[in-house]
Amino acid sequence: MSVPLPAGRRPPRSLYLHIPFCHRRCFYCDFPVVPLGDQADGSRSQSIADYLHWLLRDLAAAPAGPPLSTVYIGGGTPSMLSPDQLAQLLAAVRSHWGLAPGAELTLEMDPASFDRQRLEAVLALGINRVSLGGQSFDDAVLEQLGRRHRANQLREACSWLRQAQQQTLLQSWSLDLIVNLPQQSFEAWDWELSQALAQAPPHLSIYDLIVEPGTVFAWRQGRGELLLPDDDQAADRLQHTHQRLQAAGYGHYEVSSWALPGQASRHNRVYWSGASWWALGLGATSGVGTERLARPRTRDAYSEWVQADAGRQGDGPAAGWPPVEDLLLVGLRRREGVDLAWLHQTGLGGLERAWLERVLAGWIERGVVELSAQRLRLVAPEGFSLSNAVLSDLLAALERSEPLAPTGARLG
Amino acid sequence: MTDAPVSRLRNFCIIAHIDHGKSTLADRLLQDTGTVADRDMQAQFLDNMDLERERGITIKLQAARMQFKAADGELYTLNLIDTPGHVDFSYEVSRSLQACEGALLVVDASQGVEAQTLANVYLALGNDLEIIPVLNKIDLPGADAERISTEIEEIIGLDTSNAIHCSAKTGLGVPEILQAIVDRVPAPPDTTEEPLKALIFDSYYDPYRGVIVYFRVVSGRLRKKDKVLLMASKKTYELDEIGVMSPDQKQVDELHAGEVGYLAASIKAVADARVGDTITLASAPAEEPLPGYTEAKPMVFCGLFPTDADQYPDLRDALDKLKLSDAALKYEPETSSAMGFGFRCGFLGLLHMEIVQERLEREYDLDLIVTAPSVIYKVNMADGSTVMVDNPATLPEPQARESIEEPYVKMEIYAPNSFNGTLMELCQERRGTFIDMKYITTDRVTLQYELPLAEVVTDFFDQMKSRTKGYASMEYSLIGYRQNVLVRLDVLINGDKADPLTTIVHRDKAYGVGKGLVEKLKELIPRQQFKIPLQASIGSRIIASESISAMRKDVLAKCYGGDISRKKKLLKKQAKGKKRMKAMGKVDVPQEAFMAVLKLNENK
Repeated sequence: MSVPLPAGRRPPRSLYLHIPFCHRRCFYCDFPVVPLGDQADGSRSQSIADYLHWLLRDLAAAPAGPPLSTVYIGGGTPSMLSPDQLAQLLAAVRSHWGLAPGAELTLEMDPASFDRQRLEAVLALGINRVSLGGQSFDDAVLEQLGRRHRANQLREACSWLRQAQQQTLLQSWSLDLIVNLPQQSFEAWDWELSQALAQAPPHLSIYDLIVEPGTVFAWRQGRGELLLPDDDQAADRLQHTHQRLQAAGYGHYEVSSWALPGQASRHNRVYWSGASWWALGLGATSGVGTERLARPRTRDAYSEWVQADAGRQGDGPAAGWPPVEDLLLVGLRRREGVDLAWLHQTGLGGLERAWLERVLAGWIERGVVELSAQRLRLVAPEGFSLSNAVLSDLLAALERSEPLAPTGARLG
Repeated sequence: MTDAPVSRLRNFCIIAHIDHGKSTLADRLLQDTGTVADRDMQAQFLDNMDLERERGITIKLQAARMQFKAADGELYTLNLIDTPGHVDFSYEVSRSLQACEGALLVVDASQGVEAQTLANVYLALGNDLEIIPVLNKIDLPGADAERISTEIEEIIGLDTSNAIHCSAKTGLGVPEILQAIVDRVPAPPDTTEEPLKALIFDSYYDPYRGVIVYFRVVSGRLRKKDKVLLMASKKTYELDEIGVMSPDQKQVDELHAGEVGYLAASIKAVADARVGDTITLASAPAEEPLPGYTEAKPMVFCGLFPTDADQYPDLRDALDKLKLSDAALKYEPETSSAMGFGFRCGFLGLLHMEIVQERLEREYDLDLIVTAPSVIYKVNMADGSTVMVDNPATLPEPQARESIEEPYVKMEIYAPNSFNGTLMELCQERRGTFIDMKYITTDRVTLQYELPLAEVVTDFFDQMKSRTKGYASMEYSLIGYRQNVLVRLDVLINGDKADPLTTIVHRDKAYGVGKGLVEKLKELIPRQQFKIPLQASIGSRIIASESISAMRKDVLAKCYGGDISRKKKLLKKQAKGKKRMKAMGKVDVPQEAFMAVLKLNENK
C-alpha cells in the first residue's frame, strides 16, 4: 500500500501566533480579541508592548523542535503590530526553532490598517503570504458588520497585494468574505462574488455567518432584529458560490476555502491533516500531544499562565494522536476527505468500511458522501454544506457501538 | 407508647386543593406538637418523594402520629393520615378517608373552593367524617374570610360559624386546630375485643424489608408475633415488625382498635398488599372483610419503547422493579414493526403515566419513546363477540366490527363565570354533552358535562388551565361506555405505517385531526437526508398529506483550526439528540413527534 507510514505523530513543523488586538470588535466576532480603539498602533500602545513580552516568554518556554515550514500570525488584527515588533517576533521564532527553506509565513491584515509602505516593510521581514479580512465590498454591509474599513480601502489593499505578488515580493494572498448575512439577497451575494473575482485573489476564504453567543449579532437576534436567510436560501448561495468559483478556476479544497491551483494555504492544511502544531498567545490552542492545549482567553489569566508555566506538559512529547473523532472532524473538511488506511495506521484503529457503509447509507445514496476503497469524503458543495449532519451521524454511531477494528483488522 | 386508650385517640386527614397549604399545615402540626424537632424540619415533611416535592403535590400518602396535651390536661394521640391530591388517585383517597373519623377542610381564604376539594369533601361526608373547616392563608392581603365562608356554606352546606382562621405559614390558629381535633373529631369506636380487622390505606416497597404496609386497626388487636391473613389476596405472612409513624417508624409490641400503624412482613410486592385490603389474624380470621375493596383499574394506556433496542431488557427489569412499589401499574410486551420491542402499559391517569415515565428515565436511566395516551375501547365484532382494545393500532378492520364503544366520564369544572364561554367551547370541541350549569356564588359557576374519556386524556387539562389562566379546576368520574362513530386514523411516514401514531377518532373530526397531525409532524420531525412524505389515512384513503423536504445545510463554516472544542461539543450534542430519536424505517423520529396528537392545539 502506498500510504505514508505514521508510526507515531511527528513533532510540529507549524506555528500559530495569536495577536489579540483590534481597533474594534466586529458585530459577529467572538474570538479572544482586545479592542484598542481606532487610533491605536503597535508602536505606541503599552498594551501591545506588554502582551508581546508575555508572548515572547510563552515562546521561550516552548519545547524545542525541528525547523518550521509554516507560520501563521493571526488575530485579532496582527497588522496593528509595527514592522519592528513583527521583526522581533520572527527573530525569536527563527532562533527558537528556525525556519525550513521555503517556509510559508502568513500574516493576517486588515484593510485600513496598513498602507503600501507598511506592506513592503512587512514583506521585507520574510512574510510571504497575506490573508486580507475584506468581508464585503459594500459599505452598507461593512457598516452593518461593525467593520472599520470601507470598500474603497479594501479595493486599494487588494491592488497593493496583487502588485506585490506580480513583483514576486509576495507568494500568495487570500481574501476573506462572509456569506449569508442578514438581509443579504441572492443577487447582492452574487455581486460580492463578482467584486471579489475582479480582484483576482489567488485564494478565497468564504465563511457562512454563524451567530455566536455574546456577540452584537446574537443580541440583535434575541430582539428579533436579525433577518437571516433560511437554510434553503443559505444552501442555494453556498451552491452558487461553489459553481461560480469553480468556473473561475478555483478549487473548493476545504469547506470554506477556495484556491487557484497551487495556492492552497499550507498552514491551514496542517490543522485538517491531523498533524501537530505549536501555538502561542492568548486563547491560542496548540495540538502537539493527544490533547489540544488551549491557553487562557484573557490577558491577566494568560500572563499568569505563562509565569506559572502550568499545563505545558500538554505540549510535551509529540507522539500521541488525537481521538479518531477529532481526526474525522477536521479531516472531512478537506476535499480529499480521510484516508482510511492512514487512519488505521495511526494505531487508533480503523473504521470498518462495511460499518461506514451502513451508518452513512442514506448520505451515500444521496451522493453527499463518497466512500471509495480507501477514502471517506464529503462531495462538494452539498457534502460540505451538510458536514455537521454527516459528522453527527458518525459520532452518534461511534458512541452507540464499538466499530473500531482492532489493530491488524482488514479494511474494505 | 401504644397504651393510648381508644377514648383519647383521634384519626383525621386534611382535604385541600393543591397549593391551598395542606403540606405546610401538616408540617406545622408536626412542629407544634413537638413530633418533629424544628431543626429536623424539611419543608413539607410528609411529601417525601422527589417528584412530589418538585411538583408540589402529594402522590403517595403518608401518616404521622402526634401527641397533644389538650385543654383538659390529658395527653391525646392524634393520627394524621395524608391523602393524595390528584384525581388519578381517587381510590386511595377514599381508602384513607375510611381510616379516619374526621377531616380538616383547608380552603385558601383568598381563592375559594375548588373542584378537587369538593369531590373529596363529598367522599368524606359519605364516610360520615366530622369536617372542621379551616380558612388558611388568612394573613395574605387578598384573604376574604367572609366571602369564602359563605362559599363553603352555599356549595357544601357546611356550617362555617366555627371555622378556624389560620395561617399555616406563621402558625396563627394552629393550637386552635389541634384543640378542635380533640373536641370535635369523635374517638374511634372501642372494638378492641372483636376479631382483628385492619384496613390497608397505603403501602410502599422497601428494598431491604419488603413491602411496608400502612393500616388502621378497625377492630381487635395486632401483636408483633401474630401471623396475619390478607383477606383479598388470601396470603398469610409472619410479621417481622409492627410500629407507629411519629413520623419516623418506631417499633411497638401491639396496636389496638383505633390505632394507625405500619407492618413489615417480607411481602415481596405491593400488589400482594393492596390498598383497601383487610388484614386479619390467620389463626382467628374475621368473618367478613371491610367493605369497599376494589382493584385499581388502568384507564389510560400507552406504548413504552426504548429508543435504543438494546435497552429492552433494561426496560423490562425496570418495569418489574417499579411494579413492586406500584400496584396500579400494568404492562405487557408489545411489538410493533415500526418500533420493535416495547411494552403496552396501563395507568390510572395521565399524571400516573407521567410519574412512571419520569421514574423510568430518572431512576433507571432509560431513553424512552412514549406514544400518545389512549383509552380502552369496547369493540363489538360482526360475529357477536366483544373485544377490548387498548392500542389503537390493533383496532380490528372495519369489515370485522359492528360498532365501537368508548368510555365516558362525568366532568365537573369549577371556574369564575367570566370563563363560561371559553370552557363551554372547549367541552363542545371535545364532543361533550352539556348537562348542567350552576352558579355556586355570584361569580363562580360549576359546569357539568359528559365527555368521552379519550378527549380528556389528551390535553384537556392543559387547555382548560390555559383558557382560564389557571383559575378553573376539574374533577371527573367514569360513567360507562357509549357507542360512537369512531374510525382508525393511521399515519404514514415515508410511506410506512407508523403504528405508534395511530389514533382512534370520531369520524366527524378525522379530517381535522389528520390534517393537524401531519402538519404538526412536519414541524416536529427534523429535516433529514431525503424528502419524507407524511400522510394521514383512514383505511386505504389518504385524507391529508405533507412532506418534509431534504436537509440542505448544516455546517460550521468558520472553524478556526486550532480550537475545535466548541465545534466538537456542538456535534456531540447533535449526536446525542440523534441517539434519542427512534429510527422508523429510514426516518429518525424524535420523542415529541409521538405526542403530536396532543399538540394539535398549540399555537392556535
